[in-house]
Amino acid sequence: MAFDSARNLSAVVIGAGLNGLTAAATLAGRGARVTVVEKGEGPGGLMTGAGTGELGQFVWNLHPDALSEFGVSPADLGLGPALPTVALSPDGRHVVIEGGAARFADGAAHPDAAAYRALRWRVARFAAVLAPLVRMAPPRLGVGLMNRAGLPELLGLARLGLDIRRLARDDRREFLRVILSNAADLVLDAMPDGPLAASLAFDAVLGSRTGPRAPGTVLTLIYRHLQGGERYRPEGGMAVLAGRLARAAEARGAAIRYGAEAAGLVVEGDRVRGLRLASGEVIGAGLVLSSLGALPTLRLAGATHFDAEACRRIRQVRAEGTAGRLDLCLSAMPRLEGLPATLHRARLLLAPSVAALEAAFDPVKYGAVPGAPAAEILIEPEGAGARLSAIVQHLPRAPDGGWTTEAREGVIGSVVAALAVHAPGLPDLVREARLTTPAEIEAATGAPGGHWHHAEFAADQLLTLRPVNGMARYATGLPGLWLCGAAAHPGGDVTGLPGRNAALAALGAGVRA
Amino acid sequence: MGRAAKFDAIVAGGGHNGLTAACYLARAGLRTLVVEKNDWLGGAAVSRELHEGWTYSNCSYVCSLLRPEVVRDLDLPRHGLQVIPYTGGTTFTRDGDYFAYHSDRHALEREIARLSPRDVEGYERFALAVMRQCRFIRPLLLRTPPDPVAPGPRDVAELVYLLRRFHDLGPRETGEAMRFWTASVGDYLDGFIEHPLIKAHLAGSGIIGTGLGVYSPGTAYVLLHHYMGEVDGAIGAWGFARGGMGAVSGALASAFRAAGGEIVTGAGVERILVENGRAVGVALDNGDEYRAPIVASGMDVKRTYLGHVEPQHLPTDFLAAVRRFKIRGSSGKINIALDAMPRFLAAPEGASFLSGDLHVSESLAELERAYDDWKAGRWSALPYLDMLIPSRIDPTMAPPGKHMMTLFVQYAPYDLARDGTRDPAHWDEAARRGFADAVFDRIEAVSPGFRDLILHAEVRTPVDLEREVGLTEGNIFQGELTFDQLLFNRPVPGYADYRSPVKGLYLVGSSAHPGGGVMAAPGANAAREILRDAGRRCRAERAFRAA
Repeated sequence: MAFDSARNLSAVVIGAGLNGLTAAATLAGRGARVTVVEKGEGPGGLMTGAGTGELGQFVWNLHPDALSEFGVSPADLGLGPALPTVALSPDGRHVVIEGGAARFADGAAHPDAAAYRALRWRVARFAAVLAPLVRMAPPRLGVGLMNRAGLPELLGLARLGLDIRRLARDDRREFLRVILSNAADLVLDAMPDGPLAASLAFDAVLGSRTGPRAPGTVLTLIYRHLQGGERYRPEGGMAVLAGRLARAAEARGAAIRYGAEAAGLVVEGDRVRGLRLASGEVIGAGLVLSSLGALPTLRLAGATHFDAEACRRIRQVRAEGTAGRLDLCLSAMPRLEGLPATLHRARLLLAPSVAALEAAFDPVKYGAVPGAPAAEILIEPEGAGARLSAIVQHLPRAPDGGWTTEAREGVIGSVVAALAVHAPGLPDLVREARLTTPAEIEAATGAPGGHWHHAEFAADQLLTLRPVNGMARYATGLPGLWLCGAAAHPGGDVTGLPGRNAALAALGAGVRA
Repeated sequence: MGRAAKFDAIVAGGGHNGLTAACYLARAGLRTLVVEKNDWLGGAAVSRELHEGWTYSNCSYVCSLLRPEVVRDLDLPRHGLQVIPYTGGTTFTRDGDYFAYHSDRHALEREIARLSPRDVEGYERFALAVMRQCRFIRPLLLRTPPDPVAPGPRDVAELVYLLRRFHDLGPRETGEAMRFWTASVGDYLDGFIEHPLIKAHLAGSGIIGTGLGVYSPGTAYVLLHHYMGEVDGAIGAWGFARGGMGAVSGALASAFRAAGGEIVTGAGVERILVENGRAVGVALDNGDEYRAPIVASGMDVKRTYLGHVEPQHLPTDFLAAVRRFKIRGSSGKINIALDAMPRFLAAPEGASFLSGDLHVSESLAELERAYDDWKAGRWSALPYLDMLIPSRIDPTMAPPGKHMMTLFVQYAPYDLARDGTRDPAHWDEAARRGFADAVFDRIEAVSPGFRDLILHAEVRTPVDLEREVGLTEGNIFQGELTFDQLLFNRPVPGYADYRSPVKGLYLVGSSAHPGGGVMAAPGANAAREILRDAGRRCRAERAFRAA
């Protein structure tokens, strides 16, 4: 087997985020000597937020293939049962979505429940079609397919074709129609606007710099439903999950060094020979896998190793995060009217309509803060009180005048005010409030622009174009240097797939070289 | 009256695509009738004299996309079509600066260098990249899109043709093509050009007629609708039809009559007659009835199937797909009779670029805001303007010394918002005046005294376009040009081959592939499919008689 010769390989993985860890586990599990260098003091990267607070609060997309590289099963992760989603409604009739079915929080049937279920099912069927595509390097275009090396891909593509054929004819037509379309039209063609419609549109824009009316957002929606779309909250939070996975990678033989910041690549004879740390220490390795974004990786290697076209393309990758995080320390669990106590710890969505989601996006285009931001909220008991954490969209990198105290309080105030409609006592419970802006997320984690996906998740930056045309198959063009982070195919979220795919690609090529 | 005459084919709607299809059918020997609801022909390609002495190109206003194959096939120059190319264009800014676009390469380079020396090279790369995409797309315009879902033998052949073309592009260019098709015009331009004004000038053509903004993915493709045209073989060139855009329809009508075709105007199709799943003719709103085994509709897909075919003849899923078709109106038009040539502060008197397309714009952000206004149901406070003064080079448009301005405005909503509700009925006289004022204010800022030159103005909102031309919601392309409505998805999946669930009923207008613009491609393509079916039927009938 080709992979046996991985035993002689030594590899360095930059970054101990989920993708870095997955790449390390994949390499180590096949016998390579792997060192992970992480500038922070713990694993998890964007998942745990490196001190800024968790950025993904839920797990919903973690791929079984990535998990199997760690040698752990989903049961080992303490994910617990799927969480219901509550789409908060300004009129107090909140919508509960549980197991793909929608109803009102008071138990009454929702008039659009059937339409919602049908649409969820359709999205799930489309996700099943795209499933093989995320497990492989994006297909080479044109001539590359017609040689022996391209055979596995050809099979992968044939499988994709077969999966499309397996859809019913109407589904196939619908798939080819909506695949590059916008989520707003898809959802609003099926049901009237409101919190339920917005719950789907929210999935299509979460973490992206886009509104639901932008073409291409259907693709994001499908991506979010690759594993069914159910949300899980790991026991103890994302940090505990990251710790578990880091230990599993170590158990596979990977060494993880925290507080070790990559400072530059060692390149000899146009080949990567190792990694230099900020401390001056050099780790020799034939393979370096970077889970950083495309541009930080280019800078690490030095632009001289790339041709002008590649440099230009990498500089033009769009990566401007617009998702911030809000933390509220509360003196007690708040009470939300119209919502049973059991649902207070559900995933709460503050997005009253698709139109409101679009309106929450518009101001950020001009560097302004939306008056009514959309948010995904989690409330958990903490000590005697509670903690409310929220992903808040869309926040500009720097509003006019910068992120002053007033600007921050404006965002905090508008989220609290929107919640206070349902929880009148909430403002009095707030003991401490903190807003983390995209720029602060970037500073803490190194994610380009503080963006969830390291590179905008849009059709012109996906698949063969991710992060840029010519670099989509994890190889950077500099022999020995590979991209293994969210900027690479298939993209961000807590999936582990870029890390796994990149490691497999690097091993395949490492053996051939 | 109830007259019932028999024809081989009836074309419902005398727009340029209907006339084009009719020409091809008549020249193939079919006894063909065109019926048009208005008293004049042309649909959205019309010239009308609404102010004595002035000719307006009321809707479409410039000519470039008209397929040269069609012009040649139908011998349109002999029937009076003359396209006068114009060169250049300008975008003015409020602070008195401008960017002038020249067709002459060296002049253009100098102008770009004046604003931003680094963009000279960037523009060159941009022009090359767009030209490559044009070359890739152009041959597809006159081909019927294949059905990738339930392909017949011809679809397979067509799919193989497409794959071969992608293969010929090579991996790198295929990637670039994919990027071009999916990117926003703003992001795409950001990749080449730095100067905001140059970007603003170039981006306009990515949003004309669309319900999208400069930063909406998919708008880079719409650029092509501006660049893939030609005048007299000069690719990317634009021109005026001498005598206004009605001259295009006029030449088509003349070619049609010369081929023996008949035209009825002033009577619209009330109902397309269907018997036993077959189209058998049309009933007009004046009570007349005409019968033919072929009915071709130049109306948009919604009007055709939701307005003029009884629903029991159409499958429910087809009707659902037609109802879902997106046809949001987003453009307005103002035609103005001017007492004299307006003076633009920034432009030297007699500057050649004043004969081209004139715009007032500052940046992509401003264009994006114009889109946000439209989303909220308002006309843009600072709209994108595409102004032309054809009378500068076509003296037939206005009396000597006077001028005619055609003014395209993006964006204007169909269902105007007022007091929290959205309704086309909100377009009352006050609203139209407000809309026109927003436009005139913009022009006045760069051309003081402009308002005083206005002798007469025809203000057309999406609601007017719907009422007069019959374009549903006033969408100038008979349906948005987004991927879910392009190629094999246009107008609805499974019916991209111009046919419909009713045998003998075809769609020949811009709702069909390749979409809007005075291109005549949908009409020509549809005629080809109609004749293919007719040929098959003739063969079958001959075989039947022989047996």
